[in-house]
Amino acid sequence: MTDNLDPQQQAGLDRRRLLQGAAGGLLAGGALAGAATAYASSSSHSSSDAARSDKDTVDLSRTHPFYDQPHPAGISTPPQRHALFMTFDLVDRATRSDLQVLLARWSAAIAQLAKGRTIGAVQPARAGAVGADTGEAAGLDPAGLTVTVGLGSSIFDKRFGLEHRRPALLEELPDLPSDQIQPSLSGGDLSVQACADDPQVAYHAVRNLARMVRGTAETGWTVMGFGRASAGPGQETPRNLMGFKDGTRNISTPDDYDHFVWVTDDGWMSGGTYQVVRKIQMNLEIWDADDIADQQNIFGRTKSAGAPLTGHREMDTPDFHATGKDGKPAIPGTAHIALAAHENNGGTKILRRAYNYTDGINKYGQLDAGLLMIIYANDPDHFVKIQRRLGASDRLNEYIQHIGSGLWAIPPAPRSGHFIAEDLFI
Amino acid sequence: MSLSPRRSTVACTVTLAAGLALTACGGGSPNDSSSTTAGATASGAAPVSQGASQVNITLTNDGDADTCEIDHPSAKAGAVTFTVINKSATAITEVELQSNQRIIGEKENLAPGLAPVKFTATLTGGTYQVYCPGAKQAMQDFSVTGQATGPTAGSVQAVLAKGTSGYGVYVAGVIGDMGTAVTTLKKAVDSGNVADAKAKYALARPFYEKIESDVDGFVLPGSDPTSNKGNLDYLIDMRGSNLDPEVGWHGFHAIERDLWKNGKITAGTKKQAAALQTDVKTLGKLSEGLTYKPEDLANGAAGLLEEVQTTKIKGEEEAFSHLDLVDFEANVEGAQQAFAFLKPGLTEIDPTLTKTVTAQFKVVERLLDKYRDPSKPGGLVAWTPELRQADAPMLSKSVQGLQDPLSRMAEKVATAQ
Repeated sequence: MTDNLDPQQQAGLDRRRLLQGAAGGLLAGGALAGAATAYASSSSHSSSDAARSDKDTVDLSRTHPFYDQPHPAGISTPPQRHALFMTFDLVDRATRSDLQVLLARWSAAIAQLAKGRTIGAVQPARAGAVGADTGEAAGLDPAGLTVTVGLGSSIFDKRFGLEHRRPALLEELPDLPSDQIQPSLSGGDLSVQACADDPQVAYHAVRNLARMVRGTAETGWTVMGFGRASAGPGQETPRNLMGFKDGTRNISTPDDYDHFVWVTDDGWMSGGTYQVVRKIQMNLEIWDADDIADQQNIFGRTKSAGAPLTGHREMDTPDFHATGKDGKPAIPGTAHIALAAHENNGGTKILRRAYNYTDGINKYGQLDAGLLMIIYANDPDHFVKIQRRLGASDRLNEYIQHIGSGLWAIPPAPRSGHFIAEDLFI
Repeated sequence: MSLSPRRSTVACTVTLAAGLALTACGGGSPNDSSSTTAGATASGAAPVSQGASQVNITLTNDGDADTCEIDHPSAKAGAVTFTVINKSATAITEVELQSNQRIIGEKENLAPGLAPVKFTATLTGGTYQVYCPGAKQAMQDFSVTGQATGPTAGSVQAVLAKGTSGYGVYVAGVIGDMGTAVTTLKKAVDSGNVADAKAKYALARPFYEKIESDVDGFVLPGSDPTSNKGNLDYLIDMRGSNLDPEVGWHGFHAIERDLWKNGKITAGTKKQAAALQTDVKTLGKLSEGLTYKPEDLANGAAGLLEEVQTTKIKGEEEAFSHLDLVDFEANVEGAQQAFAFLKPGLTEIDPTLTKTVTAQFKVVERLLDKYRDPSKPGGLVAWTPELRQADAPMLSKSVQGLQDPLSRMAEKVATAQ
């Protein structure tokens, strides 16, 4: 009885699949045969292939699997071009069961979206029906979409009977030096990080997740990242809005991921991690008026090559003991890379997955822009320790303010047939 | 879990002369029970247990497409319990039982990992359809043999029809009251007493806002439907934000502007009050004998909440008097009335949605309680720019939490024919 299939839905799926097939250079035979081949081809773009091949090319047909992965997608995944970050707060009357349904519906929807599919009919067959999917991504490629869901410390309370299941290291972040966190950009019961190589795909994902939980959870704060500002393995280090390569020595090896990012031996959290998000506003007009020598001393790197001030190429290891002709350290102790370097932080490294953002023009007529810094670490204190040093003496502080902040636990990737953090409720 | 079949029948048109009753049972909280799906073998009539035929619907993903599998394609007439479990189908979020495109029973919010959910319908002989939107084969037949015995009084359609005629009486009553209140307002304006006119304005406002979505389509007889000159909604309720310079200021908000912004009553104000009285009278005549279909009530209720979102919360409706919360309350009350008249029928069709909408109405009402102040005109505090800045996002999110489930009602009541 396939003739009873919602015709619009079928048409939508066929179109999408043909586009996918075309992108993969495949011949789509009958509609369903085409669907099967196209899907197989999408799956073959695994994240490790992508990692090796990516410099600045974007393959919009790429997909990243959601289920049955050793770790959640969107963390070690090579950073896509765009990000949409949004927080959610459960309404007062939400119950434990509401939270389970929310996480289950989100999980199923993310699995659909990651394959480049809709989450339901865009144009329902019945005239009085409301579309299940809002439709703005219909016909678009998957664009490497990943959606990463985090749980804030505020959900581990009596509302949901989860007070005894709180992840060991999930607490509110302490006040840190130079913090100017705005209450409206702080914390949240849940976090959603959607990353994709097409901004409309990322926006569609978050918009639809928000829509399907209305009445259970409300939107909190959001940041739209328009360009990646951190590199993954094989990617060239991109530049932040200050024009500098930042994060050259980001975590990239499997050993470092195991050592610094993934949580192990912590029950239902094993395989997951912690997510720290900081919205960092930049005073771009003032920065742009600063001379090049000062800018380079502030970062500790050259602007064009991104080389440490003690080297010539970007990948040269900075020498924090070297001195210049004047006898002073070649990389000033208050330079950004000096304060952040693992050599100067007891060996600690954090994974940075940052994006540039803009909010337009502020009330003073200045550019309102900065960095959406998303950090992953198996101990949030790693971030806290480094940020204490940065917040206290980083010369960059003259040009930046941390205005948004939050900490979330990222549960491991769900198995097929299950949902994010399902084990939390057992 | 107790099953309490409702006394109801649905008149069916083509393939079956039906007697069916429906009750839905929550599946309990997720994870609270082991799966009740038996080994699924598509053979013969469903086994009967606890007085009901037991049918399992299992949703799985076969590697690419999602499938919806029914373990028994038929059942004996009588109570049939459908147990739905989503094992791995991410594209399927709901399952419906239909008869000739009418929704008889359904379960929504299905997702892999959640515990099975059930719904029970009392079915008589005929062919039904199990609809799993998103599945490779979305529509499958389900046949019932024999005749159902037991209660067959009153169809959903009849229940809904009773509701719509009750709603018609409500609308006529509101229009009558509006005429009285507008006459009182006109008298106060004519007397030249600004304070009294302000008070009477606040009292007259809510009536139109309660039924706006039912009466906003009328044009004066013989006038051009594309011009605001004969558009009664414009003439009665235009705002500064939708001013048509060719037609100019009219109606309630022209009077509001004079009273609050200009602080005085002029000959022009008196002319506007008289015109308003005439236009409201015309509206009363044009709306005489209006009848409503169930989906009109559902769409009307959703339309009133849209009004709340687009004009009240933004403070655009009562830009001078800041009486937006009074209009807000009236919009919500109008929507609630429409819902209340649909509720007996809707409960038969989708008890879960009915419960959700009921609960969300309570949330919005409780929020409004925060702003009550009997000493203020209309009984609610002024929606000042300061208050708006602080509270608008919270109010807007709560109204959206009501509007989303409410907007799904029309489809359900429209198909119950």
